[in-house]
Amino acid sequence: MSAETVPTGIRIARLWLAGRGLAEVPPTPGLAARLTVRRRARVAAAVALAVFLVAVALVNVAQLPSDATDDELGAGRLVALLGLVALVLALVLTLSLLDRWVWRVDQRAAAALARRAAHPVRPDWRSVLGRARAAFLVTTFAAATVLAIANLVVRDSTARYAAIIQVVGLCGLAVGTALQLRHVLTRPVVADDENSLTVDHLMRVEDAREVAVPTAVWSLPVVSVFATGLDSWNYAWLAFIVLSVVALVAITVATARGAR
Amino acid sequence: MIVIDPSSPTPPFEQLRAQLARQIQDRTLAVGTRLPAIRRLAADLGLAVNTVGRAYRELEEAGLIETRGHAGSFVSAAGEQGRARAQRAASEYAAVITSIGLDAGEALRIVQAALGHGLPDPTA
Repeated sequence: MSAETVPTGIRIARLWLAGRGLAEVPPTPGLAARLTVRRRARVAAAVALAVFLVAVALVNVAQLPSDATDDELGAGRLVALLGLVALVLALVLTLSLLDRWVWRVDQRAAAALARRAAHPVRPDWRSVLGRARAAFLVTTFAAATVLAIANLVVRDSTARYAAIIQVVGLCGLAVGTALQLRHVLTRPVVADDENSLTVDHLMRVEDAREVAVPTAVWSLPVVSVFATGLDSWNYAWLAFIVLSVVALVAITVATARGAR
Repeated sequence: MIVIDPSSPTPPFEQLRAQLARQIQDRTLAVGTRLPAIRRLAADLGLAVNTVGRAYRELEEAGLIETRGHAGSFVSAAGEQGRARAQRAASEYAAVITSIGLDAGEALRIVQAALGHGLPDPTA
């Protein structure tokens, strides 16, 4: 088959395999379909998160300046927060549906295999996500939650409202991330030999690493608490974002060096 | 790796049982290794839950794996104990052969006959 007649999905699958040192593995239509659905699901998830962040920003600025006293939220803000909870639920549902879409394509690819292969010992979260990334993810969420709760307790009414938005948003992101990671770790293997088992494992590792990048956790303070101006608390948020980005870069570099 | 071929004349549960048994016996799967949950392995291999359950049950009856309640199924130490017992018996047998002055070839033929894999050579 000439290069012009090879379907785009197959060509992308061949490039994907070559990029991972598996150039000798022939790309199959099943692998092409699995890679394609992942690319599309990642774009859709990124769009859903972007829409979520824009909506969070709107919920925040819609109630500025405050119509509430220091001790109460005010009716407008309560309604806005209820809207935010609905947004969080919609985000979690969207992410779950995207996982379901990937799972269905995987199942179709598995059904087309003449035989099935699996590991007698399933790779666990340590080999898929890695201890460093898991610790980084938990620490990032914990640090963001501590900062948001500190804002909630210490600061004035306007900053408290932004902190409530931050806490609700963080809860939604935590649930969404946990569901996505669970899906990646538990979804059935799609393989029929040693090579396809390796390919399946690599896809799982890449999916897990993609989910474990806390882009939305870094973006959430920018669209909520930063609206209150740059004070010492917001410098703390900035330090948190910079430090966690540096930590992720260090983990990524260390992982790449370890893989050589 | 475990491979299940639906077109094989061997039933899937037997393919799974035999492959796991071989990997336990050749120590690819070490004592204490946790096997995948029945449901998860069934999903991975495209088999019915009952098929995987039957293979696990037969491995358990053979003493190769043990189920520890909700913790799951683990490669049992019973296989290792059996191997150690066989090695002790072989040492005792070797001592008897040496004491009565039989050569090693005849000693092996006697063992093969006892195992039912062959008969002692009548010309020997």
